[in-house]
Amino acid sequence: MDAALTIDFLSATVRIATPILLAAMGGILIERAGTFAVGLEGMMLSGAFFGVVGAYLSGSIVMGLLAACFGGMLFGAIVAVATTRFDTEHMVTGLAANLLALGFTSFALRTIVGRGQAPVIHIPLLQPLPIPFLADIPVIGTLLFRQPPLTYLAFVAVAAIAVFLRRTRGGLLLTASGENPLAVFAAGTDPIRTRFVALLGGGVLAGLAGAVLSLQQIGTFTDGMTGGRGYMALAAVIVGRWLPLGTLAGCLMFGATEALQLRVQAFNLPVSSYVIQMVPYLAALLVLAGIGRTARLPSAIGQPFRHD
Amino acid sequence: MTVAAIMPRSPWRGGLAWRVIQSVVWSLVITGILILMAGKNPLVAYQHIVLGAFGSWDRVIVGLNKAAPYMLAGVGVALCFRGNVANMGSEGQIAMGGLAASIVALIGAGALGGLVLPAAIVAGILGGAAWAAIAAAINLWRGVHEVLVTLMMNFIAWLIVAEFLHGPLGEMDAGFPQTPMFDNAAWLPKLVARTDLHIGIVLAVLAAIAAHGVLWHTVIGFRWRLAGASDRASHYAGVSRARSVLGLMITSGVLSGIAGSIEVLGVHYRLIEGFSLGFGFNAIAIALLATLKPLWVIPAALFFAFLETGALSMQRQIGIPSSLVLVIQGLSLIFVLCAVGRGGRKV
Amino acid sequence: MTALLEMRGISKAYGSVQANAGIDLTVTAGSIIGLLGENGSGKSTLMKILFGMVRPDQGAIIFKDAELAPGSPRESLRAGIGMIHQHFTLVNAMTVADNVMLALGDAGFWLDRNGVAERITQLSRSYGLGIDPDTVVENLPLGARQRVEIVKALMRGADLLVLDEPTSILSPPEIEGLIGVMRKLKADGRAIIFITHKLGEVLSVCDEVVVLRDGKVSGRTPVAGATRQGLAHMMVGRTLAEPPQRASRAPGPERLVARNLSARDSAGLARLQDASFSLRGGEVLALAGIDGNGQQELCDTLAGLFPALAGTILLDGTDVTGWSSKARLTAGLAYIPADRSDTSLVQSMSVADNLALRDVAEEPFSRFGWLDAAGARTLVEQRTRQFGVRMAGSDAAIGTLSGGNQQKVVLAREIGREPGVLIAFQPTWGLDPGATRFVVDTILALRDRGGAVLYISSELDEVLSVGDRIGVICEGRIAGITDRADVDIVRLGLLMAGAHSQAAAA
Repeated sequence: MDAALTIDFLSATVRIATPILLAAMGGILIERAGTFAVGLEGMMLSGAFFGVVGAYLSGSIVMGLLAACFGGMLFGAIVAVATTRFDTEHMVTGLAANLLALGFTSFALRTIVGRGQAPVIHIPLLQPLPIPFLADIPVIGTLLFRQPPLTYLAFVAVAAIAVFLRRTRGGLLLTASGENPLAVFAAGTDPIRTRFVALLGGGVLAGLAGAVLSLQQIGTFTDGMTGGRGYMALAAVIVGRWLPLGTLAGCLMFGATEALQLRVQAFNLPVSSYVIQMVPYLAALLVLAGIGRTARLPSAIGQPFRHD
Repeated sequence: MTVAAIMPRSPWRGGLAWRVIQSVVWSLVITGILILMAGKNPLVAYQHIVLGAFGSWDRVIVGLNKAAPYMLAGVGVALCFRGNVANMGSEGQIAMGGLAASIVALIGAGALGGLVLPAAIVAGILGGAAWAAIAAAINLWRGVHEVLVTLMMNFIAWLIVAEFLHGPLGEMDAGFPQTPMFDNAAWLPKLVARTDLHIGIVLAVLAAIAAHGVLWHTVIGFRWRLAGASDRASHYAGVSRARSVLGLMITSGVLSGIAGSIEVLGVHYRLIEGFSLGFGFNAIAIALLATLKPLWVIPAALFFAFLETGALSMQRQIGIPSSLVLVIQGLSLIFVLCAVGRGGRKV
Repeated sequence: MTALLEMRGISKAYGSVQANAGIDLTVTAGSIIGLLGENGSGKSTLMKILFGMVRPDQGAIIFKDAELAPGSPRESLRAGIGMIHQHFTLVNAMTVADNVMLALGDAGFWLDRNGVAERITQLSRSYGLGIDPDTVVENLPLGARQRVEIVKALMRGADLLVLDEPTSILSPPEIEGLIGVMRKLKADGRAIIFITHKLGEVLSVCDEVVVLRDGKVSGRTPVAGATRQGLAHMMVGRTLAEPPQRASRAPGPERLVARNLSARDSAGLARLQDASFSLRGGEVLALAGIDGNGQQELCDTLAGLFPALAGTILLDGTDVTGWSSKARLTAGLAYIPADRSDTSLVQSMSVADNLALRDVAEEPFSRFGWLDAAGARTLVEQRTRQFGVRMAGSDAAIGTLSGGNQQKVVLAREIGREPGVLIAFQPTWGLDPGATRFVVDTILALRDRGGAVLYISSELDEVLSVGDRIGVICEGRIAGITDRADVDIVRLGLLMAGAHSQAAAA
């Protein structure tokens, strides 16, 4: 395998993994605090949409990014209100939110831009930002330090969330809210409010993940463009045992298998591309089955908390 | 000051049916507002949806054909959720059912003669049931949450179907991943001759009635309801949770398998890529909209199906995007969930 | 020495029940006060009031010479009252240090894990707690988790610690360890209120004992010079109406025999230890005991719902130890569980469904797997009439019935089948006097017809009035079975308070 192909493959891995990674970081916040993050897909899609529309209407990419944050947070809020105020069941609420996001973004796009036809908005892509000096290192420089800004953000997010969870009081409360809300309550904080805030924060990250797709990689919005990446992010969180580094590994694995599938001709592998695409899901299942009953879901996830 | 304290009090009043209807009405109202914001008249839009859905017998037939797999899968999901089994896998079970039915339809056409149709349906049932049983086994044996298992297996199922379509079953030089068309002997019979209406809708309604019968009038159904209501009481009554989970998943797999079969045998007459896309999640939404009552799945599935056909027509006629229907469906579902609250999975 | 804590004239009523009636309690610093009493004596209410979880109707609390604002756990915590609950508020997945940091309300944004860990290690050393701040709570045995709760309280600056039945989940060596910790805390000038029902522990670690009974202080004594008999008398001594005379019956054949039953719970603690008894037809064997001494495990093991680690169960001479609950039911062993809300009944299902709960696969409830509503209806009507169930129709959800009527449905199901043996666990819990009398009369009527009844209750009065033979279950053992005519109440009280197990230690 020659060097250029390898770099190209690794590069593609990082590129494909980036949106999943950002969404998965949001998923960690949401799930650790005690809500099933099935709605990541909808938050991502909403972020992708609002990002494009925001950039298009304002002419500024920065506004687009802010709009993407809003879009993700909006659907985070929908899930938050339903699950905390109305005590709805988490997973189906997430599914409903995804359905709603799919319809709403598709409808709104045509309304805002087209005349009922599939419109095409073109947004100039976020360009790679080479980091001075580091970008000149052979191989690694090209791979890691000539990336567009949101990719840097994704990796920074991994570190930031790891630090947040491990070293700050907020992170401690968040983790405790998903494990034993009673303990949080006894310590004087409202665990339900923590879950709500976690959903908003997770929504922002998922929204940015959507922006990676629409503003950084593709340059437009198409219906359902997230294509199940939100669910992959959820799987990555679980495979990564709700830990930032483990989840990073999971996302890279998903990225690698998809990059592999796209290049299977070049590598002359005798396996069908569809079988290769199954690998991440089979791997996820195997890991989960392997962990088995000891899978450390946050203990109180999905359970409402009522105190009187 | 908690979040709960600042939210408005619940606006839902009245019995369950009433609350479901209110939810749907609210979703129509809010969608109507969105249409207004888009500069169109919501009443005109809704009028076109209704016309598109019911405007002619042909339109009605399309809707009924569409409702059939929704109803079948929806009944299966409703039973599962009632028994406290979160089966998100009807998407994959439908796909595997359709695949199995297609394989038999293609391969068995010559050898089985007139029997190829029932054989294909049986294959579809087995395909869906097996896929569900595998998920149940992983859940029961290794303790992996049924939501995760079924979600993962949905993706795998879709890929298996794609693999077959691009490989052994696929039609050469078709512009689209699909199998060759099935032999006539494998086509699902029509309900009304010389129309497109196939017997799927009858099967679906029968399935809903049968599920209702089983749930409320048999010992097994009693045990399923018990398993869904209380783990402790089930244990006290000597009911095994493992057996209930397995039974429910297999039943749901059977129904989804039939749904997949009637799609390939009655609508497309071939296996095409993505034939099952979205069906599974719709089935979950329908089951919840029906508040998990098998008989209510009938109107819920019809509502979804006609909404979709009507919206497609509306899009053609006046240019309002048909994705509106997803908004209505999503909002209805969220509102019903809020109206039902904690009882959502055990009504 | 001035008092650290003074509770004056505390009264609290719940409806018509006076949980606390004019209770005075004084605690000085550097002392351990034992608070003794049966179930329902008012101990928990008093402590909830102290900790601010419940507001008293009357009375005042003076703590460290200042009046304590009632009804605020935050205030009580801030004043320096620390409560170690029976059920821990710990996050099992996190380490000890993390749990303590969680409990320390207002630390800054960044966590000072090392600082906290060091303080924990210091405290642990001073009081012999043996806690490593970096251990994950999940891996700690229950005794150690309890000590983490103590650390939490100490780090919040608690001068008064309330330990609520702390030894109920501990093994004997852990109990010794806890007693050692308590002595060190006392030497350090803190005060401890030690709630328990076990006399041996009280005598070995407390300075003074306050005994509660029926919401009032029934006795107060320094431990020096106190005797078990004296304490037991304060706990249970009462002027009972003469138990109603009963026609003496010749005992029937042996129906249910338990030999050396042992069982462990999921945490590995022994819940039943060599429990044995023999039950004959035509008699009620009533067992008294404080909640949590193995009653639930005994009932569930006998009924086939919980596996026994060792021992045998004989039903009418047949060894049924390995049999399923269904098989035992068919062989004539009926069971009324204590929990009406989620075990013996399903609240959301109808009366008819609840009557069919355990027998749905048999006639007349079903035939060939098909539910037979008509056939069932006859039986349902008959039974509900026979047992006087008042309801709005047999299809009404059972949750709409009053507690008494719900229990009548349970009776209709379990006694209606004319079992040879009945296990009744707290069958009158939560019922008004009229319903209670009905339940007791119905069970006694079964006995008169020759049935064998094992009756378990934490209400001593009830046990005394119902049982033909009376015994005590304590720490998973059954002891002191005597005929009702020979019953010595004080001795019962001693047994309930664990006297027999402390005999060696005393």
